[in-house]
Amino acid sequence: MNTGASSTRRRHSGRIVTALLFIAPWALGFLLLVLYPFAASLYWSFCEYDLLSPPRFVGGANYRRLAHELLNGEGFGRAVWNTAYYAVASVVLSVLAGVGLAVMLSWKVRGQAIYRAIFFLPSVVPTVAAAVLWMWLLDPGGGLVNHWLTAVGLPAPNWFKGVQEALWPPDWWSGRAAFGSKDALVLMSVWGVGNFMIIYLAALGDIPKSLYEAAALDGAGNLRRFWHITLPNLSPVIFFNIVMGVIQAVQAFTQVYLVSEGRGAPAESTLMLSLHIFLAAFQNLEMGYASAIAWMLFVVLLAATAALFHSSRYWVHYQGGSP
Amino acid sequence: MNVRNAATALVVLLATALLFWPDSGDQEEAVPAGRKEVIFWHFWGGDDRRVVQDIVARFNRSQNEHFVRAIAMPGNNLDLKLFLAVTGGRPPDVINQDDPIVADWAARGALMPLEEIATQQECERLREWLFPAAVDLCEHQGRLYGLCNGLDIRALYYNNTMLKKYGLTPPRSIADLDRIAEKIPANDLPANARPGGGNGGKRIRFGYLPDARRLWAWAIVFGGRWTDDHGNVVLDDEANIRALQWMTSYSRKYGPRTVTAFRQGDQSLPGKSFPLLAGRYAIVMDGQWRTRDIAAAQKRQQAQGQPVTEYGVCPLPPPPGGRALAGWVNGNFFLLPRGAANSQGAWEFMKFWSGFDGHEADAAQTCAEGGWIPVSKAVVDQPRFQAFLREQPLFREFVALAAEPFQKPTPIVPGAPFLYREVVSTAESAMYEDDPPAARVLLQRASENVARHLKRFNRRAATP
Amino acid sequence: MIHDKATFRAHLLLLSAAVLFAAPLVWMLVSAVKPAGQLTQDPYSFWPREWRWQNFADAAAAMPFFRYMRNSLLLAGGTVVGSLFSCTLAAYGFARLRWPGRDLVFGLLIATMLLPWHVTMIPRFLLIKELGLYNSLAALIAPTFLGDAFSIFLLRQFFRTIPEELSEAARLDGLTEWGVCWRIVAPLSKPALLTVGLFQFIAAWNDFSGPMLYLSDPKKFPLAYGLEQFVSSYSDQTHLLLAAAVMFTLPILVLFFIAQKSFMKGVSTTGLKA
Repeated sequence: MNTGASSTRRRHSGRIVTALLFIAPWALGFLLLVLYPFAASLYWSFCEYDLLSPPRFVGGANYRRLAHELLNGEGFGRAVWNTAYYAVASVVLSVLAGVGLAVMLSWKVRGQAIYRAIFFLPSVVPTVAAAVLWMWLLDPGGGLVNHWLTAVGLPAPNWFKGVQEALWPPDWWSGRAAFGSKDALVLMSVWGVGNFMIIYLAALGDIPKSLYEAAALDGAGNLRRFWHITLPNLSPVIFFNIVMGVIQAVQAFTQVYLVSEGRGAPAESTLMLSLHIFLAAFQNLEMGYASAIAWMLFVVLLAATAALFHSSRYWVHYQGGSP
Repeated sequence: MNVRNAATALVVLLATALLFWPDSGDQEEAVPAGRKEVIFWHFWGGDDRRVVQDIVARFNRSQNEHFVRAIAMPGNNLDLKLFLAVTGGRPPDVINQDDPIVADWAARGALMPLEEIATQQECERLREWLFPAAVDLCEHQGRLYGLCNGLDIRALYYNNTMLKKYGLTPPRSIADLDRIAEKIPANDLPANARPGGGNGGKRIRFGYLPDARRLWAWAIVFGGRWTDDHGNVVLDDEANIRALQWMTSYSRKYGPRTVTAFRQGDQSLPGKSFPLLAGRYAIVMDGQWRTRDIAAAQKRQQAQGQPVTEYGVCPLPPPPGGRALAGWVNGNFFLLPRGAANSQGAWEFMKFWSGFDGHEADAAQTCAEGGWIPVSKAVVDQPRFQAFLREQPLFREFVALAAEPFQKPTPIVPGAPFLYREVVSTAESAMYEDDPPAARVLLQRASENVARHLKRFNRRAATP
Repeated sequence: MIHDKATFRAHLLLLSAAVLFAAPLVWMLVSAVKPAGQLTQDPYSFWPREWRWQNFADAAAAMPFFRYMRNSLLLAGGTVVGSLFSCTLAAYGFARLRWPGRDLVFGLLIATMLLPWHVTMIPRFLLIKELGLYNSLAALIAPTFLGDAFSIFLLRQFFRTIPEELSEAARLDGLTEWGVCWRIVAPLSKPALLTVGLFQFIAAWNDFSGPMLYLSDPKKFPLAYGLEQFVSSYSDQTHLLLAAAVMFTLPILVLFFIAQKSFMKGVSTTGLKA
């Protein structure tokens, strides 16, 4: 009796030790590269810290500065606006483009594999190369895109070099909307929508054919079938796309750094949060302030994700009730 | 499947071959026995890199005590690299760069003032020897934290052939400049073909068009300043505001988008060539390095038997009550990181390059090769450099400006990189936004921002 | 007839979308072999006047290309080895072993995927510096030996599909958990491992901010960062710039075409099982 219990316990503790050994590398990484930095940056966000002398506790000064800048629309406030603009525009467009392309690929036509490869390919092009490529294509003076726009009689925007924001509503009815630097970044991100498209495509394949057949018998047209069958069935993936898309957009750094002369040019129109944190930390050596921004970013992302999850029960349709 | 396997094998093979391929090219020269190495970081690329290699080689030949090893660094993220070099392990012995970071790093205690490596007397002699602008660029709280080795001066280049064609002369005042901008037609079509008009009269040139970044120069020309006598930041000085208003008047007149687009067109000229040579402007502000492009273009025209276009250079023309011969000066300078192993060798190298202490002839050759403006009259007066000036008469105008007292750099204050970004962004907002706030409001805002930033910086620097 | 019309419309739509997506890349590839003169004088003509392969050699000669390339390979190779090692172990721990608190810890792992890297950037940077890894490729490779949440998640999903009976049989044959992990589960999970390896390779190959933050010696730069340096000093020589960008992108494109299936499969797994 006794021996049985203790051997069970021994097996039990032996299992735990084995498991711990297996996850040890990750656990070490978690403690060292996630948990510690996390705690440290939270503490530093209440400090003044320039790396050269030890951090000095200053209470909520960094956060008060953030609030001030947010209200004035300077520095942090500017970066919040730019980031939100970029995130919203690129996520919305990537959902539209992703779903659209996936639906087109789901049509049974010849050469489908080739089309799929073509749509997917841009998403694996290295960001540095993509930035070089798009800056060249979208050059306001001699770029190919403006050449064609002019050729068909459309206005030639200044793209990366313009401070305008075409997707911000007040310009829509004034007839003065013009694509600027952030819109060019959005365009670049939509070009790389392939990842999400593949996920949509897989999800489309999982929708039971019977649903469509039943709808066809009921006399539903293409549009209605799309609206009542395809979209609800894709909604979990759309949800995933939105969450991941927001996280990716908010963290975008490489392309932002490359197209903005590393400073958010022109006129801070591409000063995103990631770039602002980078400049504050490693150019101005304001680690405390930079940490405070990073934490605000984290909190806002968390809130946004939570809100999305909360709202998802109203519009995300899970097949068979389980995600 | 077989094709794929073959391809995979090929890729793996190539990758392995590359990994184990002997590293050819830039093999490092060993430090000669009995000599001490000087690690030298610089940020020059392209053709300039060759000139740098040449100077280093000349210095190494002239030495039997030190040996300079030049390392070309990427230009971005310098602050971080400098910080790490200084705080952790072994910093380079000397750095050459041109960003306004002297005061930042001096205040952080990361730089060694020249007073610590040279005698008091030597430093005084150096101050006498340098052009005032070269002293300004490296001075912080009364001490020299670096040695300038070349100045960058801006002036107006004009296409005299074009000016003459329309009965104009080089500008002597802002009013002249505005008139030239007004008189030079947008294109070569008949006069009734206005830009945007019905007959496709596209604008292909501007008489003159200010560039946002040039607020640095125009503010000084208009009589402005960036800091007051107590070192307080006053970006919203009345004259600065007038300068920005004047610059903005161009984008109001032609439309900010047109102005942005036209400016960008300059960037996409073949080989980033000088837009003045492409006939896109009658007048352009630029630095001394363009004199070479002009000389080369004229030589080409001559060789092809075309009429040679006449170009000239003139100082920035002031408005009434402004400053003549004024502008924005920048330069390259050497900095000595604290805690370096061989600062003495670095100092010898710095003197050799800039020409101080009997190296004037060498410096003259360096400046002539690189097309750089010397930092001292003593170097300018060298026969080698005078010969260069005879070949490049336009260059003379820039050298003359180098000695002027109102060639002002970006203020050498802690937080200057922030200040620099703020001023440029402000000018970009004013010139390129559709409905920007007034120049006064923008500059006031920027001034407050920078003042706050400096206050924070000083508070941090004050706490040990 | 109606069917034909629909097919025609479908092709038309797909074709125009494909042209839009492919045009930038095709234009880059074609322009990379154009002579410099054509790009400046006649920038909008499609076909190269002459196929100037020399551009690639010129671009490679204008920077220490092969050194950068080698560094990139070392970096990407090290990353693949590191993450396959650590992530396989962790995924095995989460998928094939039962232990109290496992699902809670796994939830924690999933949560770390939502963390923006900025939050940990500064302390992480100082840690790396304190460990004496600054300015070495190890600063970028070492962390991959500590696993990354995304790859662990991906592998765990796959490991769970392998029948438990196989493991049991192996254990009865005297294999330790370590043995089961590497001799039974890992070989059966080749597709998943391949996918993770590919993703990690590409991520390391493309990484720009890592080298910018952690490397200061130009001899140690990988291509992604070295290329940026090249871009800033040769920005006026479009033909070289494009040739360099093509040489940088090509390995990734080749990888993609060799392993297209694993790619797409990997990507779709990440979405559906989330």
